[in-house]
Amino acid sequence: MMDIWNQLLQGFATAGTPVNLMWAFVGCAMGTAVGVLPGIGPATAVAMLLPITAKVDATASMIFFAGIYYGAMYGGSTTSILLNTPGETASMVTAMEGNKMAKSGRAGAALATAAIGSFVAGSIATVLVTLFAPVVAEFAVKLGPPEYFVLMLLAFTTVSAVLGQSTVRGLTALFVGLAIGLVGLDQITGQARYTGGVPELMDGIEIVLVAVGLFAVAEALHAVLFEGKVVESENSMSRVSMSRSDWRRSVPAWLRGAAIGAPFGCIPAGGTEIPTFLSYAAEKKLAKPEHRAEFGTTGAIEGVAGPEAANNATVTAALIPLLTLGIPVSNTTAILLGAFQNYGIQPGPQLFSSSAALVWALIASLYIGNVMLLVLNLPLVGLWVKLLKVPKPQLYAGILIFATVGAYGMRQSAFDLFLLYAIGVLGLVMRRFNFPTAPVVVGMILGPLAEAQLRNAISIGEGSAMVFLQRPMALTLLLVVVGVLVLPKLIKWMQHNKVSAA
Amino acid sequence: MSESPTGDDPRLPSLLQGLVGLGVIAIGIGLAVGALGIPSAAGYAGVGPNFLPWLVAIALMLCGGVMVHQARTGGFRHMEEGPPGEAPYWSGFIWMSAGLLLNAALITTIGFVFSCALCFVLAARGMRNAEGQSQAGLGVWLKDGITGLLIAAPVYWMFTQFLAINLPGLTQSGWL
Repeated sequence: MMDIWNQLLQGFATAGTPVNLMWAFVGCAMGTAVGVLPGIGPATAVAMLLPITAKVDATASMIFFAGIYYGAMYGGSTTSILLNTPGETASMVTAMEGNKMAKSGRAGAALATAAIGSFVAGSIATVLVTLFAPVVAEFAVKLGPPEYFVLMLLAFTTVSAVLGQSTVRGLTALFVGLAIGLVGLDQITGQARYTGGVPELMDGIEIVLVAVGLFAVAEALHAVLFEGKVVESENSMSRVSMSRSDWRRSVPAWLRGAAIGAPFGCIPAGGTEIPTFLSYAAEKKLAKPEHRAEFGTTGAIEGVAGPEAANNATVTAALIPLLTLGIPVSNTTAILLGAFQNYGIQPGPQLFSSSAALVWALIASLYIGNVMLLVLNLPLVGLWVKLLKVPKPQLYAGILIFATVGAYGMRQSAFDLFLLYAIGVLGLVMRRFNFPTAPVVVGMILGPLAEAQLRNAISIGEGSAMVFLQRPMALTLLLVVVGVLVLPKLIKWMQHNKVSAA
Repeated sequence: MSESPTGDDPRLPSLLQGLVGLGVIAIGIGLAVGALGIPSAAGYAGVGPNFLPWLVAIALMLCGGVMVHQARTGGFRHMEEGPPGEAPYWSGFIWMSAGLLLNAALITTIGFVFSCALCFVLAARGMRNAEGQSQAGLGVWLKDGITGLLIAAPVYWMFTQFLAINLPGLTQSGWL
């Protein structure tokens, strides 16, 4: 315990240097901006800025990226409350009640409860990361390749088959991601795969290209094809403050939201959809009868406070599996993993011993970033709202310039820009036909790691796959994977039968 | 699959969905053909470098098959509602694609700043047309060109001067 405290203080000392504070501030501000702007999210923003890993030192850039990651969550809620178009999935639930509140003239209160709730839940979850990440890391050291492989299998399963509407489309996206990850040299034998003799492909396909292509370019192409005639309406702002009753209703909702959200971040199950919806449902159920009528009509403040807190708690706690196991469960954490890899650092249980200074500075910067974001988002919210006024032609054309920087800056190759366009078109088709994108990114980044673990595991088993059944931990995890795959179907099937029997 | 089509959703053109399914099958076949050329030398690992390629190829063919089947029997399951059933605006798509592809083709010859500004102008034009802004006067072109330069140039300076990341310039000065 004392040990953790000392290391955290050390982390604050590193994160608190003027240069690192500057990176944190720029990250938070930039994150808020991309969160507010429709069309780009944290994953895209971090991806576009990955080229800086070539020049900026690891600690500074991880603090910077964490700021963007965090800031985008704050900014996203502003957009979903004020604009009548749902943005990223994470803030979809916030949009349901937040929008209603804004329409009945309570935009300010909704923004305030979202920002303060994000701060409260984010801070609680950061404390959890501080306390539990070292413990998980200590435990994870004991895991061998078979256990790791099954954990990755679990991440693949949840991210593709459980989240999203369709298992087939989720799995297709995952396998497309795995296929992209295959391009290049095989890690173990050095065998070239799917390079077609193109030298640029020997090093594999850059994460930046895939992320920026799938998100930014596809988004712009989708907008020009289908959204030209969509008219967005903006709700009017009101003073950003909360009444005494707003506070009384928000505080328990924040705490419940944090309690629901944090566990979901810890497990490799990915996505903020489930915790935010759960929190929303819980708030609706627990609301006093006189407040329950506000849900879906004039907008209930609990319906913003809870999900927004759950969202931030999940996103923060998701750093635990990323830092301790090296397993990303969302687009953004997958790209953060990519950033670590650019420095030759492989997140995992050893990270806490091999790069202790970096990890603790990163964790300390989360505390600092949360405070910065509260200041950036409460008094200065009017500034960010102005970003919503950027007209669409300039917005999307501008996004394409930044996409070019990210894609070209990584390897200085014009070939990558053609590839970027091709991936953009792929993303457009996926978006049009409702394929999830997270499995592509997670599959691409985790695929090569999982393959290496699989082959090492089978080596340990002397060529036999039975090794997964002989080790108790691996077997348990394997059963969890099967459960995750089968249970939702079973529940659906039973409900279906009940309905048709009635 | 045990998923059942939801009763009353308006069917999206299932022909296109079938094509998407076929496309996925085609990717699977492509990967399988590629996998033929990868040696299977497994060594101690039991599985060689061609194991995952084959797995992915077969899985994609299966997924594609299921999608084709779904498209033929009432469309993809659990589709979210798309944007209001308007026809895609292809002319805007062509403008934007031209911007992106010309950018890729020209960036090393005319430099980052001008190439990106050109991409900006063409993409903004596509989006303006899509929004139905027909006042396509010279002024708007000029305004977009200047806006594009005003975004591209500082970005270029920030990366080349401040972060020392190479981006192609028209000159060797690092400013243009």
